[in-house]
Amino acid sequence: MDNARLELEKAVLATKLPPNMYMFRDMGTSNAHLLIGARTNAKNVYTLKIMLKDFPSSAPVVYTTKPLKDRNGNDLEVSHELHNYGTSDGKTRICHCPDSSWTPRVSLYRVYIKCRLWLECYEIYLRTGQSIDTLINEINRQGGNPTR
Amino acid sequence: MKCIYIDKDEALTFLYSEDNHIEGQSYEWEGEDVVHVHTIAQPHAFGHVTSAYWHKSVLPTAIPSQEQYHIVVFSDNEAKAYYVNSKFQSEECKVKFIPSKDEMFSRAKGILEVDILSDKRVMIIGLGSFGSQIAIELAKAGVGEFSLFDFDRVELHNLARHTCTIKDLGRLKTNAIKDAIIGKNKLARVDLFPININEHHTLMDKEVAKADLVICATDNNQSRFALTKCLLKNNKVAIFGRAVTRAEGGDVFRHRPGGPCYNCLVGSQAYAMAAEEITNRSQLPAYVSEEEANAMIQVGLSSDIEPICNLIVKLALVELSKGQNSGIESLENELEYDYYIWANRRERRHVGWAPFNNAKNMPTILKWYGARIAKDEHCPSCSSNTVLDLGEGLNDGVLSENFEGIELDTEE
Repeated sequence: MDNARLELEKAVLATKLPPNMYMFRDMGTSNAHLLIGARTNAKNVYTLKIMLKDFPSSAPVVYTTKPLKDRNGNDLEVSHELHNYGTSDGKTRICHCPDSSWTPRVSLYRVYIKCRLWLECYEIYLRTGQSIDTLINEINRQGGNPTR
Repeated sequence: MKCIYIDKDEALTFLYSEDNHIEGQSYEWEGEDVVHVHTIAQPHAFGHVTSAYWHKSVLPTAIPSQEQYHIVVFSDNEAKAYYVNSKFQSEECKVKFIPSKDEMFSRAKGILEVDILSDKRVMIIGLGSFGSQIAIELAKAGVGEFSLFDFDRVELHNLARHTCTIKDLGRLKTNAIKDAIIGKNKLARVDLFPININEHHTLMDKEVAKADLVICATDNNQSRFALTKCLLKNNKVAIFGRAVTRAEGGDVFRHRPGGPCYNCLVGSQAYAMAAEEITNRSQLPAYVSEEEANAMIQVGLSSDIEPICNLIVKLALVELSKGQNSGIESLENELEYDYYIWANRRERRHVGWAPFNNAKNMPTILKWYGARIAKDEHCPSCSSNTVLDLGEGLNDGVLSENFEGIELDTEE
């Protein structure tokens, strides 16, 4: 990510989120990432790690910094139903945008919002057993969000 | 009578050398009475390989005993060739020359001024069914220098649409296409980069800077977006081409400095975002099952992508020879659109198009349609006034905005 884009992203985040909620780290290295906090409507707190290696040319890889569990208490495994790429090294990679739909216009703030929606879907899945895929399709159909 | 093909450039090199005798190799297409003789061993030999002895003026006094061989003798400004069998019986052969550089493209003279192209460098990213055909067509037209990018190898499922053949199975596509280029233009200079361009942006930038033209024939937007950045930085022309689902159609986009970039195109109404043809597993998310992947990977026919490659080649030749009395100047004023769309069949995206036999003034299949794409004044790549997508409407006020007490997990 070049400096101009980084400044643009920082300016957006500064208007949307409190400064203690996010942190750019290791910029200029292949491990460049944004740590960003997320609190769901059920008041559970997660930290998302948004990798910036090829951003904005490609959709950034997003992990939760702690492993997410399925309804049986096991680490989430790669699954279409649960829209994730599995858990390894203590973190779960979530799917927030198919590569074919990505454009460099998408801001990190939008990625954050998509991940927030994913987390809401994940918590509904934990409560009800509905698949994240079903919930996301519902979001796309309604143009809204899963809690509606 | 056997016919012996002699490489004229190799023969001249030998004649101007201090050597009176050298040993090379001959390659015989068995049963066809056709032999190609060379002063040096060829990298990918074909046919039956035997020795070839090259001589100036006189025959050698002793030739090692072996089953059979060929002899080429230059005497009195004439080349003669002989086949010698295992009983030392010789038979004179007919001699034909593989033309030298100057003669190689003589048939294109007057159609296309090939001298203009011999110093041009074309960078081709992606050597699949598109890139491989385009590379060879440009070599045939006389383009003299190439940089080829592809990390993939030739696999069985490629063969139906690829220029490579069964004998290339398992080879790096870069190497196989280099051989095909050299087969058409033996003096072409070809640099090979068997790497994933998405992981080597610095190298991509360096090579873009050296190229006269870039052809982007990849199957993903990640490489197209990354390339766009390099094109804008280096003020280079590029042509992007792709097929849409099952090659029911395709599109071609030309980026020129100062004009709309690939990102401007993607944000335009004309572009079909999700219609990309899926040709291999790597284009799908890892969690897609094998069954789903098999249903989603649907490729079209080679004849469906050929017209798209053909337009890319024409656009490339126009760009490479622009303003230089090339013989194809008239195309400069006609192929002036940024974006071109083609339909092979009236399916999916093109289902509403008119039937070919009753199209009247409506768009129909098997015809090119050009469009001008406006520069996006808020483009994230080529505008200094970028406006980002903040996802307005996604949240719709339902996600809690209570941020108090959130502590980042920085220990991961």
